[in-house]
Formats: sequence, C-alpha cells, structure tokens
Amino acid sequence: MIRLFLFLFFSVIKIFSQDELLDLLNEEPIEPLPVQATFKATRIVNSQSVELPRSKMLEFMVQHRFGTVENGFYDLFGLDEAAVHYDLKYGLHERLAFGLGRSSWQKTYDVMIKAKLIRQTEGQGKTFPITVVIFSNMGINALRKDAIVKDNFANRIRYLQQLIVGRKFNESVSLQVVPTWSHKNLVPAHEDEHDLFSAVLGGRIMVTRRFSINADISFPLGDRPDSFKNGWGLGCDIETGGHVFQLLLTNARGGYEGAYIEDASGSLSTGEIFLGFNITRVFSI
Amino acid sequence: MKKIFLFLCCAPLLARDLYITRSGAVSFYSHAPMEDIVAVNKQASCMLDLETGSLAFQVPIRGFIFPNALMQEHFNENYLESHQFPKATFKGNIDHWLELKIGPDPQDVAVTGTLTIHGVSREISESGTLARAGGGINGLATFEVAPADYDIRIPKIVRNNIARKIQVTVNVKLQQK
Repeated sequence: MIRLFLFLFFSVIKIFSQDELLDLLNEEPIEPLPVQATFKATRIVNSQSVELPRSKMLEFMVQHRFGTVENGFYDLFGLDEAAVHYDLKYGLHERLAFGLGRSSWQKTYDVMIKAKLIRQTEGQGKTFPITVVIFSNMGINALRKDAIVKDNFANRIRYLQQLIVGRKFNESVSLQVVPTWSHKNLVPAHEDEHDLFSAVLGGRIMVTRRFSINADISFPLGDRPDSFKNGWGLGCDIETGGHVFQLLLTNARGGYEGAYIEDASGSLSTGEIFLGFNITRVFSI
Repeated sequence: MKKIFLFLCCAPLLARDLYITRSGAVSFYSHAPMEDIVAVNKQASCMLDLETGSLAFQVPIRGFIFPNALMQEHFNENYLESHQFPKATFKGNIDHWLELKIGPDPQDVAVTGTLTIHGVSREISESGTLARAGGGINGLATFEVAPADYDIRIPKIVRNNIARKIQVTVNVKLQQK
C-alpha cells in the first residue's frame, strides 16, 4: 500500500518538477528598465524627439525640403528646388549627446546639446511614466555682411531651448509635448520680440514594426503678428537596420533649428506646402 | 502510519538537492556574409535538481548586451519583441540521469526539453557537459537556434546581416541552494 502511494507520489513529482523549477526561477521579478524606442529617430517630423543619438554612435542626418508643391508639374511639385540641413551628432553617453549642423537657409551653422534627464521605465515594481529631455541649440548666421545693421557677431546668434516631455503609451502610440523658448539676439524690426515662447506637440502611431505615421505641430504662447502660421509636419518613418527614412509634408521650409516653430510660411489653403525627407544614418565608432 | 506518510510526502521536497545560479552567461553568435554579431547576457538563471536531473533556465531578453546600441534596440524592438516576450525559458531533463556520475572531469550529457523563445515553444534535444567544481556544478553547452523556428521574422533587406542559424553558448556555475 505504502509502496503504491510512494510510487504514485514520486511519479507525480517527476512530472511536475520541471515546471516547479521554472516557477522557482520565475519568482525573481524582472527589474524595471528604461523603455526603448519611444520614437525611431531623433526627430518626429520637424521637431526634436525624446530620442538621443545612441551611446558611442555617430549619427548623420539630412533634412531635405523641396520647394512648394503649388506650381505642379512646372517645377515637378517643388522637386526642382531644395533647402537642406545637415547635422552630425554623437552619443557621448546614453543620456548625453552633442552635434553640429549647417543649413542652407540663411547659411546657418548650429551646435546642439541634448541630455536625457529622466527616463520612462517599464517592468514590475516601481516605474516612472515619462521621459524628460533638454535640448539646447545655438545657431550662427553666416551670411555675408549686411550694410543695414551693425555687424556684431552677437547679432548673428539665435538660441532655442526645449524641454521635451514624452511618453511611450504602448508599442504603437507615443506622444510628447515640448515647451520651447527661442531667443534672437537681433530681430528684424523694433517691435519684434527677442524672446518667444511656444509649445510643440508631436506623436506617432506604429503601423508595422518598421513603419510609423508621425505628426507634429507647434502652438505659440503669447502674441504673434497676423501673418504667423502654426508650423506643422506630417510624415512616416521607414526603418531599415542602420537607416531611418522619413518622408513628409510640411508647411515649414526647414532651415535652422526651430524654423518650423516661428517661420512656417505655407498653408494648406494656398497649396504652399512642401514635400521633404529626413534620412538618418548611424555609424558605430 | 499517518505521520510516516506525511513525512514521506514532504521528504522529497525538503531533501531536494537544488543547485542554482542567477548570473549564468548565455551568448550568441550570428555569422552572416555582411557581418558577424555577438551578444552576451550575464543575467541568466538556471536551476538543476540533482535528485531528478530536472533542469530549468530563464533568460531576460533585455539582458543581452550588444557592442552596438542601435542593434541591441532593434533586437528587442523588432526581432525578439521583448516588451511582449520578456524572457526566454527552458525546462527539461538530463537524459539517463540516474546512470550518470558527475565528477570533476566534464561529463557529456544530453538534455531534452522545451525551449521557449519569442512565445514559441519547441521540443529540443541538445548535448553539453557537467562537472563538479569547488562545491558547485559547472554546466556548458553550445547549440544552434534557427530564428525562423521561433517565429522571428527577418526581413529580406537584412538577410545578409543575420544568420539563418544562430550559435548559442550557455555557461553556468551552479551553487547549492
């Protein structure tokens, strides 16, 4: 009798023991980890995203904006013209990157620093819901001397400071809000403000693992002239290993950092919108 | 009688000779025409029951460290989908356990069980070695895993960058629990 019990008992143990062992291992929870890939690229369409160039990697990005589409086939929907911005960025650390750029518009050079202050985390236990990044950019206009204003070096400088607050809600949806302060040392007219504040909203929806639809739009905080247009961009990300291609439509012709916030010129009603693309290529060095 | 029965019931649980590690190494190597990729994970857990020869592994996918940060992100985001399948597991038995004697010299063993990666479970049978060392037991195994078997889709554009069969190496140093 006892033997029978024992036999049954041990046979039961033997059947369940593998699962038991795995359960024992499973008791240790996976610690919260920073979320990955809130966005695929360091820009959403025009605006900076919460992503930084990856640690120890060099990132080369081309922002290319064609001319306005309104002339149709005459200039092939603006493809005959181009405004470009190039930049090279390097990830010093997973939370700190810097870069240098150049735009054809107003021949502007720029330097930038991007730092991740807080990371959104996921997993079991105590997690944090948002990522916070600061982005700081200084642009230097390198146009030839203009006789009208005194040509101080300081007059050629503009600044853009952004606090990027983003959240990856799930594998598909990420959103961010970006309070922005831009400062121009020299403004065109006496009544123009040196300091302008605004908020940029941006987000993406993933369609497949390597394709997403992105959009961003900026809203001014405070007064602007009547001619002011909210800059917006609508595009998609196509990721292929070391590249991210972003095809887009926007009402801002690009140019220096933040031009999409204060200097958007086009509107849907007049057909003055621009086709463009961003290409990101990374190199590990 | 009752007492004896209870004792016998509990005895196997109490007396079990469990060996464990929480810092085992699992690495993989992908050899493809365009590039070789190596990633190492030092957070693998493993448990071996010396009574029965039962064996279990648990490997957190986010623990794989690549030399290239973007590659690591793509590994998690696009291939292993670690947000949905955070762990790879194995549960199985060492074949002919009762006939084996584990000594200081590496003993060849065959392991049969269920490997679960990316939410897909498959029965596998692979070989490795076990050896006693300094009061513990060291285990070593190298085997191949085909991503396609675990529903890990590799797009055409990177076919030449990722091997069809990935060589996996497991190295654990187990200590008595």
